[in-house]
Amino acid sequence: MLNKLKHHSRVTTRREFFAHAGSGLAAMALADLLAQDAFAQRVDPLAAKKPHVTPKAKNVIFCFMEGGPSHVDLFDPKPELAKYAGQPVPPSMRPEKFITGFGTHRNGLMPTKHTFKQYGQSGLWFSDWLPHMAQLADDWAMVRSCQSDAVNHVGGVCQMNTGDILAGRPSLGAWATYGLGSANRNLPTFVVMQDDKEILGGVQNYSAGFLPAVYQGSLFRKGDTPILNLKPPDGTTDEQQRSKLEYLKQLNDRFSLGKDEDFELDARTRSYELAYQMQSAAPEAVDLSKETEATKKLYGIDEPETAAYGNLCLLARRLVERGVRFVEIYSGSGSRWDAHSDLEKNHTQNCRSADKPVAGLLADLKARGMLQDTLVVWGGEFGRTPFFQGTFDEKAGRDHNQWGFTMLMAGGGVKGGQAIGATDELGLKAIEEPHHIHDLHASILYLMGLDHLKTTYMRLGRAERPTVAGGHLITKLWA
Amino acid sequence: MRRLYLFSALCLTAIGVTSAQTREFTDAQKSFWSFQPVKKPAVPGVKNKDWTKNPIDAFVMAKLEEKQIEPNKPADKRTLLRRATLDMTGLPPTDKEVDAFLADNSPNAFEKVVDRLLASPAYGERWGRHWLDVARYADSDGFKADATRPNIWRYRDYVIQAFNEDKPYNRFIREQIAGDELYPGDHDAMVAMGFNRHWIDETNAAGLLTRRQETLDEITTATGSAFLGVTIGCARCHDHKYDPIPQRDYYRLQAFFANTSYGDGALPVKDRVERQKYETQKALWEEKTKDTRAEMATMLEPLRAQRIKGGISTFEDEVVEAILMDPAKRNPFQQMMFHTASSRITFDEEPDARTLRSLKGDAATHYGELKKKLAEFDSIRPAAPPEGQFMIDISTTAPPTHVLGRGDIMNKGEEVQPGFLSILTAADAKITAPAGLNSTGRRTALAEWLTDPKNPLVARVMVNRMWHYHFGRGIVASPGDFGRMGMRPTHPELLDYLASTFVENGWSFKKLHKQILLSNTYQVSSDNQAKAAEADPDNKLMWHYNRRRIEAEAIRDSMLYVSGFLNPEMGGPGVMPPVPPGTLSDLSATAVAGGWKADTDAAKQNRRSVYIFVRRNLLYPMMHEFDTANTFEVWHQRKNTVTPSQSLDLMNNETILNWAQALAGRVLSDGRVASESLEQVDRAFRLVYGRRPAAEEQKVSAAFLGKQIPIMASRLANGKAKPAMPTQIPAGMEPARAAALVDLCHMLLASNEFLYIN
Repeated sequence: MLNKLKHHSRVTTRREFFAHAGSGLAAMALADLLAQDAFAQRVDPLAAKKPHVTPKAKNVIFCFMEGGPSHVDLFDPKPELAKYAGQPVPPSMRPEKFITGFGTHRNGLMPTKHTFKQYGQSGLWFSDWLPHMAQLADDWAMVRSCQSDAVNHVGGVCQMNTGDILAGRPSLGAWATYGLGSANRNLPTFVVMQDDKEILGGVQNYSAGFLPAVYQGSLFRKGDTPILNLKPPDGTTDEQQRSKLEYLKQLNDRFSLGKDEDFELDARTRSYELAYQMQSAAPEAVDLSKETEATKKLYGIDEPETAAYGNLCLLARRLVERGVRFVEIYSGSGSRWDAHSDLEKNHTQNCRSADKPVAGLLADLKARGMLQDTLVVWGGEFGRTPFFQGTFDEKAGRDHNQWGFTMLMAGGGVKGGQAIGATDELGLKAIEEPHHIHDLHASILYLMGLDHLKTTYMRLGRAERPTVAGGHLITKLWA
Repeated sequence: MRRLYLFSALCLTAIGVTSAQTREFTDAQKSFWSFQPVKKPAVPGVKNKDWTKNPIDAFVMAKLEEKQIEPNKPADKRTLLRRATLDMTGLPPTDKEVDAFLADNSPNAFEKVVDRLLASPAYGERWGRHWLDVARYADSDGFKADATRPNIWRYRDYVIQAFNEDKPYNRFIREQIAGDELYPGDHDAMVAMGFNRHWIDETNAAGLLTRRQETLDEITTATGSAFLGVTIGCARCHDHKYDPIPQRDYYRLQAFFANTSYGDGALPVKDRVERQKYETQKALWEEKTKDTRAEMATMLEPLRAQRIKGGISTFEDEVVEAILMDPAKRNPFQQMMFHTASSRITFDEEPDARTLRSLKGDAATHYGELKKKLAEFDSIRPAAPPEGQFMIDISTTAPPTHVLGRGDIMNKGEEVQPGFLSILTAADAKITAPAGLNSTGRRTALAEWLTDPKNPLVARVMVNRMWHYHFGRGIVASPGDFGRMGMRPTHPELLDYLASTFVENGWSFKKLHKQILLSNTYQVSSDNQAKAAEADPDNKLMWHYNRRRIEAEAIRDSMLYVSGFLNPEMGGPGVMPPVPPGTLSDLSATAVAGGWKADTDAAKQNRRSVYIFVRRNLLYPMMHEFDTANTFEVWHQRKNTVTPSQSLDLMNNETILNWAQALAGRVLSDGRVASESLEQVDRAFRLVYGRRPAAEEQKVSAAFLGKQIPIMASRLANGKAKPAMPTQIPAGMEPARAAALVDLCHMLLASNEFLYIN
């Protein structure tokens, strides 16, 4: 049977892999790949796969604040900034390669204008810009020592999604889908939504990179047809379409006669059934009409300032309810958090639009008993500099800061109410327990049940993995 | 630092700069198969001599006999014709071509077909596209702005033409690596220099040192990958973990390109007389407008200064220094930095509109008057010669190349000179500067080495690519990796036989194709055979032909072709067929750079897929769905996925439905079939599959039409959205019947038989 199956498949055999695998790590990586059964992978690439460790999170909702929220004004209070106000960063505190996107690194330091307070049992710090999220302080874990390699947005957003600042690698959601398979064939397994303009760098942020295209993220469009080509041509009746598909199946079955060994032909015939189901499942998933007014209110859908992101948060909950593994929702898509000038106005608007919806999402997940296996991640591609940009007055902004910034996580096995790592006294550079984006990725995958070192894909003789060549687990998140 | 992560998947052991001494290779490394000279092997003797049509078959049969496997029977003539036509042109045969081939009982009937296919311009469009995968071809920069590269399409046309002309592969390489130095003044050779102009580029990058190094890294990796089939990119940060490629070799190869940069601009005028005419006319215009232009230039001086000031703010200190210093004193490195920065700190004749707005009041008025005055001479101004996008050396002296510790530009180690893979050629390259050219001659040395018949990799890698495209699997199943982690050749002697005859035949692709197509190995059926499948389930010994889905381009082109819509026009700037509603939300900032302005002209929309504009951040959806090449690196092998989104595309995409309408119209245009459903089905099958329907198919087709007709009738009677109708309907034909035929045609286009090469 296995032999029959292999015939006509361009998959290489176990034997052949091992014959050339050499020794050491590569061989181990190959063994892992093969454990996932290359043949099943090919015939049914979305079949559910066995996780490496017991999963704590079934799903991930990544709330991506695009443009870079200012950690020193939101989560990481730095009273010392008042002391240095107006002075440049002392040479001893400068990071290596001190380049900023806008050449502002010689500018003076600027204290926050916002009030920080401690919340909950844990006493986690939040500024007055995020009153709703602050109320759930004991659910959030903050990693205050995150680091990226990116000077600018395209590289930054790309790295937060794919691990590399240059486009071309698979997105984290694609790796998760590759590693775990699908839990609902009638919907895509990795969904991306945006509340405003297009994400900088576009499709490369949710692409499958060098993985097969079946693992790429689907950008859901606004309205009732979230997927490309989801709706039959105007006026097509269900009866008409079903009859067409039945005829197609007859044609395909006839072509398959005497080709029983060719599983790919069968897979293609079957994929029409999936596509047909998707036509009704996807619009149902994005139809908010069955949600109660109370629920909509919880997400802020009743208020104009919070309606856009509230919608995405509620859609995200509906999607994970239906088995979508990885949902990424962009707040301020198109880099709206990018406060180079007038930080005050920028963050007031952006915090207003995302704070209540995210808090509503967490509360709703909790009330439905879903938070325990849904990991919610909150953050941007980097933070912002403690020194000003533009004019040093009420209209001042802040530049990009890749040397130290804060990311938040809740649910999905995360121990809330803790802050991990720390930046220096300016909030410029992570100095305690610095965590590169690769560490975040490794940890998110771990919570989903995947060992990032074993989640590999052979490409041109290299066992590629989601964390490229890095990645350390942030064990404090769950330990 | 930036690129570090991409290439450091193998950074598992020692990291650091390799010592200056040439590395000692082990015996195992030195004797690794792909580094051994190509030796033309003797054609093996076999028992089954009747089967062996040419030497290829003898090599294949020898292995089959060893394992006692019988190859499949030949495919039937119809299948063979369809296979060869799809394979060679990316289009199915017409029903007339099928009839002609079936009727031709001469012994060389198939050879005639092969000759016809090789002479078809569609051949270049098909096989040129294969090379464009290798060249990581795209019409845009990538990154955030993803700006259009307005003239890079000439490279695509050059490739198509090269295949159609059967340009020898050694010449093809020489033109793409060093066309500017080897064939100065040659239009095509300059266009060919677009090969290494395909790096993804962030034109507004904050740091210039990094941007420059990323470009060099991209070129080094792509060149090693495309021509040598080695994963030299793995040696960027440290010695290659598996192959005998010291880190030093990576930078030795990079050094050939150390003095290159984009040289976008006017191409050499093809015709000498035309060129002369252009030069004379241009001199005349320049003379007449000298004063006006000088005055305008003076007025723009302050704007130039302003542009420099605005442009340099994010650059590294040493780059800023290079830009601001006395040009005469710049060293080659500083020249390179200035050149790399130039598009952001200078302008040619006139700055962009935003900068120009700094001219205010009287100055603006006066500048406007001067412009008008200049325009008075437009009638004598010669039309600018066509422009291209290509890569050239910027001077005769290259900046130094250093081994970079961990691939980091800040971590410079030993300086190296241009050199080849040291396992093959240890000494540095001998460089001779080409007389009279503003170029180093480095790439000439590289081109010579690559096209030296003694180079063990280049011909092997290329014939293997060709084999891979013909059979769906290479003799080396990893066409991009001839190293230790790649696959071993299933037929090493055959590979060497093909490589050596390829070179003997003047590196001719067409001769290679013909050799392959006329072999029995190519012509066996794709059927299963229980006994053979038991012994060789992966078909490594090639006892059957590999059935496989055709590529994205072939799917779209075939649909257009059988519907009668395909516009065979060749060449020119990329076209943008309309995209399904909602697609444009995939665009990032690309909208700024031109986005996707769909062509409204139907003829343009129906060009072959190779001419569809390749925007890196928005691949045309149908191409993307069906696994077209990734444009971010050398793409050796298309993926072959089966996804529900492909099915949705085939079921619901209105464009495909339009093609089905045209196909139905084509069916009905034949007066003989106008009134008879059976005849219509028959003709539809012939147009789409190149065969008549079997009785059983006639039966299910008739039943299907019987079901659709009342549905269509009711839609016609009360539906707001009328059903799709054939593009032409014979007088008196019942509309519901005509609409039902569209559905039938639609499903034929979506069916596996149409989508698979068999």
